[in-house]
Order: sequence, then C-alpha cells, then structure tokens
Amino acid sequence: MNTGFKIDCIGYGLFAAFVLLVMPWMVDFSGYELNSYARYLALGMVAAALALSWGTAGILNLGQALTFGVGAYIMAMHLKLRASESLPGGMPDFMGWTNVEALPWFWQPFHSLLFTLGAGVLIPVGIACLLGVFMFRGRITGVFVAIITLSLMLAVQLWIISEQRFTGGENGITGLAPLNLFGWSVDTYELSFYYLVAGCLLAGLAVGLGLVRSKAGLVLRAIKADPERVRFFGYDVARYETLAFATSAGIAGVAGMLYALVLEFASPTYMGLSISLAIVIWAAVGGRESMVAAALGGIGVNMAEGRLSDLFFDQWTLMLGVIFIAVVLFLPRGIYGLVATARDYLEARYTERVAMALNREQDDAARPVADRGEVK
Amino acid sequence: MAALTLDALTVKFGGLVAVDHLDLQVRDGELRCLLGPNGAGKSTTLDLICGKTQPTSGRILLGNQDITNLPEFKRARAGVGRKFQTPTVFKDLTVIENLEVGRSSEPGILTTLRVFRSPVRGRMKEVLGLVGLENEIRTRAENLSHGQMQWLEIAMLLMQDCRVILMDEPTAGMTVQETSQTASLLRELRGDHTMIVVEHDMTFVREIAETVTVMDQGALLSEGSIEAVEADPAVREAYLADTGDEAHA
Repeated sequence: MNTGFKIDCIGYGLFAAFVLLVMPWMVDFSGYELNSYARYLALGMVAAALALSWGTAGILNLGQALTFGVGAYIMAMHLKLRASESLPGGMPDFMGWTNVEALPWFWQPFHSLLFTLGAGVLIPVGIACLLGVFMFRGRITGVFVAIITLSLMLAVQLWIISEQRFTGGENGITGLAPLNLFGWSVDTYELSFYYLVAGCLLAGLAVGLGLVRSKAGLVLRAIKADPERVRFFGYDVARYETLAFATSAGIAGVAGMLYALVLEFASPTYMGLSISLAIVIWAAVGGRESMVAAALGGIGVNMAEGRLSDLFFDQWTLMLGVIFIAVVLFLPRGIYGLVATARDYLEARYTERVAMALNREQDDAARPVADRGEVK
Repeated sequence: MAALTLDALTVKFGGLVAVDHLDLQVRDGELRCLLGPNGAGKSTTLDLICGKTQPTSGRILLGNQDITNLPEFKRARAGVGRKFQTPTVFKDLTVIENLEVGRSSEPGILTTLRVFRSPVRGRMKEVLGLVGLENEIRTRAENLSHGQMQWLEIAMLLMQDCRVILMDEPTAGMTVQETSQTASLLRELRGDHTMIVVEHDMTFVREIAETVTVMDQGALLSEGSIEAVEADPAVREAYLADTGDEAHA
C-alpha cells in the first residue's frame, strides 16, 4: 500500500518548493502582491481540506465554507477585541451602536491568543464531529450529506447576519488590530507573513498526507468504494468517516483564520454558497484525489482569476466558466488525473520489467513450485 | 463445542416469512453446506448471521456470545466473516491493499493511523500463496479475472482470520478448473476455520461437504451426510419434484 507514498512525497516536495520559492520569486520576494499570494494559499488550503473528505472518503461537503468561516470569525473576534481595548467596556464598536451593555460571555475568552488559536482548530473539529456523529451513525451518504452540510452552513450564515448585536451582522467584523503573535507583530504585507501562511498550508497538507497514506486512509478509500463491505471486516465506518470529516474541518478552520488575517476582516460571505461551490470547483479542477493537487487547483484558479480580471474587465468570468466546463468534460479526475494516468502507465511498465527479470531468475534456478500447484 | 448456534431464528419481510424458526449448530472447524431451492432462505440466513439483516425473533450465538443485537462491525470483530455472492472486493485498490483492509484484527483508528506498510511476510505471504495471487500483489483488483477476484475475497477473509466464514456461492462464475481449485482450497481451510457454504453446484458440494443442511421455505428440511440427505424423501420432494435430478436443481 506504499507505492503511492513515495510519489506523494515527491509531489509534496515539489509543491513545497513552488510555494516557498517560486511563488515569492515571481513577485521578487516583496510587495503588495505577496498579500494576494498569501490569500491564494489560504484558499488553496481550504480546497485541500475539501479534497481530504471528498476525494479520500467520498464525503462531498458542500458546507466546507462553514468551518472556514468559523475559523475566520474566531480570528477576527480576537483581533477585534484587541482593537477595542480603549473603547468603553472593551466592547467592539458595533456592540456599542446596538446598545449591548456588556461584552457577551462567548466573546470573553477570545481575549486570549492561545485560546483563539486553539479554538480556531478545535471548534471546527467539534462542529464536524457532532455533525459527523449524527450523519454517519445514521448512515447518511452521498447527496444527502451534501444537502445537510449545505443547509447547516446557510443556517449559521443567516444566524450570524441576524444577530448583528453580537456578530456584526451583514457587515461582518471589521477594523481589526494586527495580530501580535508572541511578540511578533504580524504585517500581512511582509514576506514573513507569507511564509507563515505557507508554513500552515504545508503543515496541513503533511497532516492530510499522513492520514491518507496510513492504513486509516486505506480504510477510507475502501469506504469510499463500498462502505457496507468495510463494515463486515470489523471497521467502525462511522468513526472513520468522522475522522476524515473532522480533520478536514480542522484544516479548513486554520485556513479561515489565515484568510481573516490576510483580508483584515471577517464577513458572513466567507460561509456563503458561492465560496462553498467555488471550493468544490477548485478541488475538482486540481484533482480531488490528492490534497496537494486540490491546493494547487485553489491557488491556480485564484491566481488566474486575479490575472484575468486585470486583463479583461468583464469577460474573465466567462473564460473561467469555459475552463471549468472543459475540465469537467475532458478531465473528470482533474489535472491530477492526467498525472495519475501517466504514473500508472510508468508503474505498469516497471512492474512488467521486474516480473520479466524475476522470471529469468526463476528459469535459472531449479524453478521452484511457484503457483497454485501447491494448493492442489 | 459449537462455533455457531442459531436458535429459533426467524425473519419476516412484511407477510413473507423468509426464515422460519431455524435451528442450526455448527461445530468448530466444520465445513457445513447449506442447500435448498431458490428462495429457501439460504442467503437470508447468512445475512442474518453477519448482521446485514436483523432477525424478527430468535438468537444467534457465536461460541457462547450472543451476537443477535450487535451491529455488523462488532460481529465481524467477534469473528464472523462474510463472502458475498458476487465478488465484493475493492476494485480501485490493489491486491495487497485489499488484503491489508482484510487484515482487521486491530480495526481501531488509533492503530490504523500508525500503520504505513504491508510487508509481504508471515500470514500475508502464506495467504497470497494459498490463493495463488503472489505475482499479482500490485495489480488493481479490477484487472483480475473473475475467478481471481473470488479468491481475493476468500483471501481477505483469511486475513481477517475470523472464526466463522460465511460463503455465498464461492464458485459462482468460475470455470470447472477454478471450481476444483476452490474445492481443494476449502478442504485445506477446513479444521482451522468454521465455514458455512451456500452452493448450488452439487458436484462441488460432493467434493467438500461433511454435513449438509437442506432448507426449504425458510425452515430446516433435512440435515446429515450428503448420502443421507440425498436419500431423504422430503428433500427429494421439495427439491427434485419437477426435474428428478438434484444436480440440476
């Protein structure tokens, strides 16, 4: 089960080189563009998170933006509190406008940086575990998972918009302080911030890679093909599905935190329908079977969007649309599918050669009884 | 000691009684053949034992353990393995990956997250040799022949190392030669594993059977050695009424 592991590692290494060296080199390691590139990385990360649950375990999460948005809000809450320290009661400005008397209890813990960082991962994981227990124990699969995740995301989005007193409503949470990370004041236009985002992305991918290439990942791939059959081997399918779903949510949460840092605000649109569908498209274009490919899909599509919208004002969405349709029609497994086909071809040729060499060796030796002859 | 005991096992689908107060005892290491005309409830019985179907009443004991109300994966952990009628292997996975899924003695997440290799040695090597797939380790299951897929599924059950193996027509779609190889494979496994085999092919049954249980309309019709069962007038009536030849029933 390890043939893929080495190749995955090579792919991961190439991707790391691309993210750490090539991308910053493209903008001369400085400047305004680095901020956009950091944004692309954060979006690539959430695409990779989707690939983990969709491509590996076959759970199409149409509400991936929910955990992404929750991560973003968590980061924004912390930064907003820091920006509001001088205001009456230390309360965010929008609370003052809507006559909230004291800082609500669920805002309180976000004064702490450590709590915020932990919550940005653990709250999305918790949401996913809770949802996973209900869905997967109830053996809900396929399109119903997509509907449930999508509806839950829209419900949370509506709640955030309607509870303006506590959440900033439609406007989201704006006017954030810069993050102070253990004495390092983060400037989102600097190279160091770009590397922070890249580091988080690579760490998330490494976690995913470890999961996918362990036996747990193998069981997940088996579950994707035939969950019934896997149960009869004694695996608790619901638990495995929850594992993939929750890990994916955790990675999306981190991506959301980074996204809020890059854009310096959080908005209910982060958990909207359009971004959620966009995530699916990115993962599909890159290739949902590989997290690295999906991340590249997210980065590539967003980069293309940026470039195309600079060059053509109106027609770029049309062009992107054409590209997506072409990918779905001609490359149903995404760009990764092309790579995988080539790899399988090479591998088949290699094993053929090894088999031939082995046969020759066996001919030379006194030809031991090799095959089913023993059983008879 | 009985490896598996069915105690007045009954299941109703709406008005249809698919299995009707079935009592069955299978000894440790026994190879039991389950026969009966179409619709007699053979496959349903296997479904009941492995947990695919829940019984309406009655009990299923594995050794001394009551497994009647356990979910499928816990029954599998308790020692029930199932081979389905059509080869149900994971077609996208390679032979060795399929076997690794089959090796499920430690199915918990905390263990599987730490396993990264499937070395071809020990039991894995033995099983690969037993079913003759040692040169196909890296082949994707979808590229195997039909007979090889059947063997792969049997091999997965051997990796699972379950106490009781339930097989639903293991020779379905096999060539004559493959069938006789399967027969010798099952004879080899007899003793180490308790097996219940549902089969239509009487030549095959004669090759492997020790004790034969015949079902009709969900109930036990006859039980005994193959000669005794074949001589039983009740069996002849239920089974052979129209053709007069059990081999083609």
